[in-house]
Amino acid sequence: MTHETATSPVHTAHRHEAHAHVGGAKPPTHRNLGLTPSWHIGALAATAAAALALGVWSMTQVDPLRIGGAGLIGVLPPAYFVALGLSLAGFVASLSLRRLVPALLTWQLLVTVVVLAGADPIIHGLPRLEASFRHLGIADTMGQSGQLDPSLDAYFDWPGFFSLLGMLSGATGAKDLFGIATWAPVGINFLLLAPLLALTRRLTANPRQAWAAVWIFYVASWIGQDYLSPQAHSFVLLLTLVACLLSVFAGWAWPTEGTGFSRWLARSVSKLDSSVPGYGAVEPRRTDTAVLVVVCGLFLLAMTASHQLSPFAAIPILAALLLTGHLRLRFLPVLAVVLPVGWLIFAASTFLSGHFGQLLGSFGDIGANSLGALSTRVSGSDAHVLVVYTRIAEVALVWILAVAGAIVGYRRKAPWLAAAAAALAPLVLIPLQPYGGELLLRLYLFSLPFAVCLAVLPLMSENTAGLSLRRALALLLMGAVLATATVVSRYGNDGMESFNDDEIALVNRLYSTAPTGAVLIEAVRNTPWRYQHYADYDYRALVAAEPIPNAAPLSCDAANQIAHKAGAYLIVTESQREAAELRGSTPTGDLQRFTATCATSPGWTKVYENAGGVIFHIEGVTNGN
Amino acid sequence: MATERSYVSYATAAVALAAIPLSFVGPEGLRLAVIGLLMLAGPGTALVLLLHFGPTRSATTAGALPLIIAIAIAFSLTMSTLVATAMIYAQLWSPPAGVCVLSILTLAFLGLEFKRPQRALVRAK
Repeated sequence: MTHETATSPVHTAHRHEAHAHVGGAKPPTHRNLGLTPSWHIGALAATAAAALALGVWSMTQVDPLRIGGAGLIGVLPPAYFVALGLSLAGFVASLSLRRLVPALLTWQLLVTVVVLAGADPIIHGLPRLEASFRHLGIADTMGQSGQLDPSLDAYFDWPGFFSLLGMLSGATGAKDLFGIATWAPVGINFLLLAPLLALTRRLTANPRQAWAAVWIFYVASWIGQDYLSPQAHSFVLLLTLVACLLSVFAGWAWPTEGTGFSRWLARSVSKLDSSVPGYGAVEPRRTDTAVLVVVCGLFLLAMTASHQLSPFAAIPILAALLLTGHLRLRFLPVLAVVLPVGWLIFAASTFLSGHFGQLLGSFGDIGANSLGALSTRVSGSDAHVLVVYTRIAEVALVWILAVAGAIVGYRRKAPWLAAAAAALAPLVLIPLQPYGGELLLRLYLFSLPFAVCLAVLPLMSENTAGLSLRRALALLLMGAVLATATVVSRYGNDGMESFNDDEIALVNRLYSTAPTGAVLIEAVRNTPWRYQHYADYDYRALVAAEPIPNAAPLSCDAANQIAHKAGAYLIVTESQREAAELRGSTPTGDLQRFTATCATSPGWTKVYENAGGVIFHIEGVTNGN
Repeated sequence: MATERSYVSYATAAVALAAIPLSFVGPEGLRLAVIGLLMLAGPGTALVLLLHFGPTRSATTAGALPLIIAIAIAFSLTMSTLVATAMIYAQLWSPPAGVCVLSILTLAFLGLEFKRPQRALVRAK
């Protein structure tokens, strides 16, 4: 008997009855067995297939060169939105069937993922974000050398994910993982489906709500951290860890009548949320349970070795589950603290000693780490500001729905407390540090799987037999609003985050021209490079692709100073120009002026130029200037 | 259900066995497909076949399918990550050897799973 059932024995029988009513354990009847004609199911599957075909076709019609400051939304043809609408409507229709068909729902979710996350491979055919290229380079360096060089950068202090890629590359002979990086957003969202479903099954009242929650996760997940990255890898592990704990190890970690505090805690939890999560739990044999404890510990270890932030996000989530009676393993939150702190001290000591001030400099400054970091993002071109406001509005909508869901859950006596506690838990990281200004974005992602379990509550009844037309329409409307907002917010920076073959050719030309060890300068930090020769050159940037209030124009002198000693190569690309304009890193049109002016400067020689940009060689004192 | 389990067992064993020679030699596309599949799902699939999440054919076990798939993938990624990280910290970097370790781990789990029904049968007798 778990502590979970022991906490309030008075209500146990009643709860089981209630669960039998809401949890789908009714005796079979002709109604709940579901006599959905197979042609309904076939028609819905065909609708999803049509949405997929139309969505892919419409994306192939996009001309990437026409993508402007508002991102992809401005150039997507109407057919794309028809495809998106079909995929959303088909899913809600399937959710409204008397009997759920998991294979159909899975197919429809996968189609929605391709339509929403497939723009990079289908439109651009290249990995998204310059970080993807960097990550390939780090994996390549580790794979080639089998060595860690923490002096290069912090990635080498958390090598787990990169060594995994290096092993894949080394064992397959595949020197080029561009294909994997290009399709990563689709692939990672596919990988998230099973853990998300396992998680939402434990945090909602019935499978219908669980499927709806997963659907809302996909349509509201605009953060774009699903590229080939350690955070995406760790997110899969984190969700699986939490799903496993909720499914196998739910319950109180201590006797609820043991001390005054535990008695008070159990009563408070029971008052707030008296529901019993009665489905989705599994009860393995004793030895298998012990194996799963070890497996959960290994998940934490792999996250710790791979990513700086994710293990720290796991700590408050596990603590929240422990304190709400949803985690029996009291040592696990302790292990979740010990592993990343131990790693920071022993394995990442180089990083810690070099960045101690930076790590703790903003400690406790909640304003700077939250609203301060947010306000710096509301800048740049007018179109970009609109995209930023769309993102804020989308986050606000999800959180408003989640708060409303918590209230509805409390009133209906449906499960809500665990989801609410886990959704709020990552926010305790705000006082620690701003994480390069990205903390709020990351916290939204960590909270989202839990917030969506609450967001479905106002829109769905506890009734397990289908959705009413009114509720189905409301759900569809909300999904359509969120999905459209996601197209705006996810792809709002498409001009700077996506690259083209000309830029890759330009970078390849740079590598074939510049001798090993040379200084390579990018005008704005947004170049698809370092996917090879990560440690072979001295990489510099004149300006970061960050908002800079009253940004000064770029000067040739800045590049000359870097090149002063031994010369350098300067690369200016189209996506650098887009980034500078979009983020307001330089005055409008400054990069063109900079290129035109500096091209005629003494010591500057144009090495190569194509539609993707230009390379200059700048002479230094040791080679003639 | 038992038949499905055995099909999955055979397929997993085939991938694990094929990955060993392919980690040294073979066409790049085939190596990427087989070794990628092993790293993504090999050891984890063998592990979840070894574990029993509830009575066979029960609604609980059927409902646990998302969890089973999630653990299969996450455990495989975890083991691949930890093996690669251990090799790099131990300065014993050898990607083919890492793949062999994952294959052996997968086959060991499958072997235990193969022996498990026999043990149960002995106990029943």
